[in-house]
Amino acid sequence: MVKVYSFEGCPWCEKVKKFLQARGMEYETCDIEESEEARAECERISGDLAVPVTTIDGKNYVVGFDKRKLEELLTSA
Amino acid sequence: MSVYDFTVKTKNGADKSLADYKGKVLLIVNTASKCGFTPQFEELQTLYKTYKDKGFEILGFPCNQFAGQEPGTNDEVQQFCKFNYGVTFTIFAKGDVRGETAQPLFKYLTEQKKFEGFDMNHPVAAKLLDALKKNFPEYLEGDGIKWNFTKFLIDRDGNVVARFEPTTTPASIAKDIENLL
Repeated sequence: MVKVYSFEGCPWCEKVKKFLQARGMEYETCDIEESEEARAECERISGDLAVPVTTIDGKNYVVGFDKRKLEELLTSA
Repeated sequence: MSVYDFTVKTKNGADKSLADYKGKVLLIVNTASKCGFTPQFEELQTLYKTYKDKGFEILGFPCNQFAGQEPGTNDEVQQFCKFNYGVTFTIFAKGDVRGETAQPLFKYLTEQKKFEGFDMNHPVAAKLLDALKKNFPEYLEGDGIKWNFTKFLIDRDGNVVARFEPTTTPASIAKDIENLL
């Protein structure tokens, strides 16, 4: 399952979600503003609190809305 | 008339009179909804930590009028938002800062200190100006707030002494704050 760490009002997070939707990918939204657990996970994965962070396995991840890197992440899975 | 004549809304919707800040040096800032120019959040927090014990307060007013409208093209601008966890200065309720719907405080501030142009030496200045010209040319007219992180410096008597555009970093106005403290 693809996880997208995000918070409300973050336009790049919305772009990542639209990008995934356009590919028919299911994803789970982890709101780092609402959930301290999600915030801690996000920081553990990327070492920062910048979103969106997109990951499948919690190891490989993409920070931000970078189409090329997102494609790579999804095809490598 | 001074900033002390204005009442604003706290995050919880309560009224807060700026007269409560009499005698303090204030920096009033329209903050982003956590995106764009985000490094300024960190620099503002640093200013706050450095000077708060000397009578300095930062009043942040989040505004959605510029949200999601990032300057520059996809390749040039960092395409993520930084979560501003750790900001301890006061953040008020979300509200408009420009145009007819602007909060009265911001109408007053922009009347007191006019727009004098961006600092084109700032790395994002050219992109910001281009984006405004292209998408929101009306924003460039008059003295209204142009973008997130416009900063107004208020002295201990409530006078608006300076206006700094988004292209002036918080760190670079430390001297101006010190001079008033």
